[in-house]
Amino acid sequence: MKDRVRALDPRLLWVILALTVLGTLTLYSAGRNTPQAAIWLKQSLWNFMGMALMLLLAATDPRRIFRHSFPIYLLGLVALVAVLVVGKKIGGATRWFVVAGQTFQPSELMKWVTLLYVSQRLGSRPADSVGRLELLGAVGLVVFPMLLIQRQPDLGMALSFLPILLLIPLMKGLRARWVIALLLLVTVGGFGAWKVALKPYQKQRVLIFLDPSSDLQGKGYQVNQSRIAIGAGGLIGKGFTSGSQTQLNFLPVKTTDFAFSVWAEERGFLGVLLVLGLFGLLLSRILDAAKAAHTNAEAYFCAGAAGIFALHLMVNVGMVAGALPNKGMVLPFFSAGGSSTLSFFLALGLIMGILHRSRVK
Amino acid sequence: MDPRQRPLLHRRLGVFKAMAWCLVATLILIYAWLQLVRHGEFKQLALQQAVKVRPIAAPRGLVLDRNGHRLVDNRRALHLVIQREDLPTRPEVVAALALALELDPVALARKIQIYRVAGKGRPLVLKENLDDAGIALAERVRARFPFLSVDVAPRRVYLGDELAGHVLGYVGEVDEELMKAKPGVFRLGETIGKEGFEASGNDKLKGVDGQKRILVDQLGTEVANFGQADATSGRSLFLTLDAGLQKVMQDAYGEEAGAAVVLDLRDGGILAMYSSPSYDPNLFLNRLSQEMVDRYLNNPTRPMLNRAIQGIYAPGSTFKLLVALAALEKGVATPQTVIYCAGKKNFYGRDFRCDKLSGHGGLSMVQAIAQSCDVYFYELASRMDVDDLYATAEKYGFTERTGIDLPQEKRTRIPSRAWKRKASPRDPKWYAGETISVGIGQGAVGVTPLGLARFYALLATRGKLLTPHLFYGFRGDQSNELEPAPVPPQKDTPLDPRNWAVLDEGLFEVMRSGTAQRSALKEITMAGKTGTAQVATFVDRAHYARQAKHLKDHALFAGYAPHEKPQIAFAVVVENAGFGADMAAPIAKKLVQYWFIDRLKNPLPPPRGRMVDPFAPVPEVAE
Repeated sequence: MKDRVRALDPRLLWVILALTVLGTLTLYSAGRNTPQAAIWLKQSLWNFMGMALMLLLAATDPRRIFRHSFPIYLLGLVALVAVLVVGKKIGGATRWFVVAGQTFQPSELMKWVTLLYVSQRLGSRPADSVGRLELLGAVGLVVFPMLLIQRQPDLGMALSFLPILLLIPLMKGLRARWVIALLLLVTVGGFGAWKVALKPYQKQRVLIFLDPSSDLQGKGYQVNQSRIAIGAGGLIGKGFTSGSQTQLNFLPVKTTDFAFSVWAEERGFLGVLLVLGLFGLLLSRILDAAKAAHTNAEAYFCAGAAGIFALHLMVNVGMVAGALPNKGMVLPFFSAGGSSTLSFFLALGLIMGILHRSRVK
Repeated sequence: MDPRQRPLLHRRLGVFKAMAWCLVATLILIYAWLQLVRHGEFKQLALQQAVKVRPIAAPRGLVLDRNGHRLVDNRRALHLVIQREDLPTRPEVVAALALALELDPVALARKIQIYRVAGKGRPLVLKENLDDAGIALAERVRARFPFLSVDVAPRRVYLGDELAGHVLGYVGEVDEELMKAKPGVFRLGETIGKEGFEASGNDKLKGVDGQKRILVDQLGTEVANFGQADATSGRSLFLTLDAGLQKVMQDAYGEEAGAAVVLDLRDGGILAMYSSPSYDPNLFLNRLSQEMVDRYLNNPTRPMLNRAIQGIYAPGSTFKLLVALAALEKGVATPQTVIYCAGKKNFYGRDFRCDKLSGHGGLSMVQAIAQSCDVYFYELASRMDVDDLYATAEKYGFTERTGIDLPQEKRTRIPSRAWKRKASPRDPKWYAGETISVGIGQGAVGVTPLGLARFYALLATRGKLLTPHLFYGFRGDQSNELEPAPVPPQKDTPLDPRNWAVLDEGLFEVMRSGTAQRSALKEITMAGKTGTAQVATFVDRAHYARQAKHLKDHALFAGYAPHEKPQIAFAVVVENAGFGADMAAPIAKKLVQYWFIDRLKNPLPPPRGRMVDPFAPVPEVAE
């Protein structure tokens, strides 16, 4: 046990603990005056379970995990197919398994599993000897689960797989023609998606993002109320459990997607600085782990993990401020939810394991 | 790891790190923009939706009868409303709401538009006076339309139901036309009196609305109160009505149509006023259902008409007193003038018949009044011009409105040459034969029951022209006792006591030996005059023609009691009932009987505390 605790990287651990505490406090405040008053307790339970798993993984040799990444990936794909067949349909989407009254969302864990397996495949050889065909194969490994998830449908979740593709420029560098090709792909793909693939509610979201005031009673209502909450917080905030937007329930879905608005309203800009600073330290430390990693695969995993965390941070914090479309992407440590919490802690545990191995050697 | 690769990987990870911090910095900038630069604006918005100023509706004053029995009370009621600042904007939301509440979507959209431009004030009421089913519906609909709220406001209760519907009237929301007609007087959504005394006494009864600043949550539920300016209730007031007498009058009419008025001769106060068929004002507090519209508004018997002040009836023989007075004053007859009645008489080449076909023989004026001889009054009328009659009527205030404190009083119609020119431009000439008909209260003469009662009050008081009124005084805020209001002006008319004595004797003889002797009371002397009149024009004659083969006459009775020292005057009209002596006089008898005998023997229980309904069965008192 002592060895295991020693395996925890203190610089990463303090950041994680701080964010977890702040997130739980936010949930306590957000749950007041709603039927979900006890949600902070439930989330604390998830947090404890997550930390226990993190502890376990941190003391495990990462190589053992990377070695089994292929069967894990296959298992994940099976889960994604299974959820489409036997999953529970909530609000028009089939994303959840129900086990003993608890819902579990396999796609949350799947993005880490995908990252793990792709890192393993690409990292098993020196970067300059990885051919284009292998890169294309890696892209396929990422896109296939994305397509399965989009079947649920869950666009936000599918998009959160994209940071895994950052591994390619990490290995090969950025070339001008690649950038141009990517921009072209995004433009054409975006137009095609708008015409063919996007569901009406998704189009609606984009339109409302472009002009939030066009629909103050409907879909734009959420973001509008969130912006009011954030703006009203000012420099020092309304005080803990004293935000009028939060406590009077003007702020919607405040225990999940809009949890950060609660924090911003009640703790103000200073609180926002604190949390964003902590997230900066988190990303920074994860990238340090990438540098310190012994193998390419471990380095790639850490880099990809930083990308995933960064994407969640960007989309959620940007979305609640009205700067990005309402995508429904959770904010780690703040948004309540079992699957996401456990997944984040598992990933952090693996990263700590990587850091630990780099230190002991 | 390949050592050659490491520096390159590290450089790229360095770029990643820089990008991560750039992301954090960008987010911080976005939040700085919202929380520091635009803080004031958002703070204002947050305040606006959480802190609301809501009006507090002021209860209207209660209306009591002259003894303090409650006629109109207030109860707390729930209304489904939209507060001004919550009015929906999207047309599809308005349409869905109208569908859910079964309202007319066009009318609702229009109303919402009007309320939106009007600014602060009372909320828009969608459903008033919710009952249990209404509350259940409101809760269901609120789940879909969170901008709805349920408002507690006082509502009116008219305790006697149909007892005094026309007198009391009812309240409702001020309508657009009235607001346009009198700009600046009313506020949108204000409750005002629509009919009856509620309308004419609106300024006396209405209070001053208060205001409160409250904190609301997203559903509009009040979470905290930051302080309020209380509403000032309207003052409660007494009417001159006597609930007991009013009840006797209502019972006396039963299914018959008509109207009756009893005046207090001391001050002109109206002791009772009933118009039959009556209506129940309670039913007009909610939006009218089709059933209600059919029952009241489309009913050919016109229950909404206050016949006591809006029904124009030919006065029949009750008009003969005015003809006699005109003849005496003009000098074309003396009290001793005897005219022979042979059952009919020819004037201008046409036979005018008396009621008694065999003829009354020779009659003095007193006898003619007592026996209601038509020939006698044909003869008097033939000796005068119609303008002489008009001048006398004008002199004694018969041609003007009585000035009662109720809205929309009709003017009594006494014909004259000038009137005919105006009323009948095609045939403006007055024919002498028409004067003969006017002599017995037929033809163009039309009086309201109230106007008739006032004329008999003038006879009872030997020439005092009273102003009939309902407002008796305010109720003292501390004492709960009557603070009498000044009596509206009375006018003395130059009624010659000698002429008066003849008329008074004639009216007394009607009861002693004349047409109404069967309606006389042993204990109380009365003076009065019967009348039988052709069906007046305000009702749909065709309707009655369908109902009965022939049109029955209206029965009238007007007079005062006691004869020696009169205290009350009255007029009774029963529509399509036949002879006045048979139908109207017995009602008058009941009124006199109650007022002078039964009322004193079995007084109503005194009003006390919250005792509200004088007609509720008295609870058994345990020994």
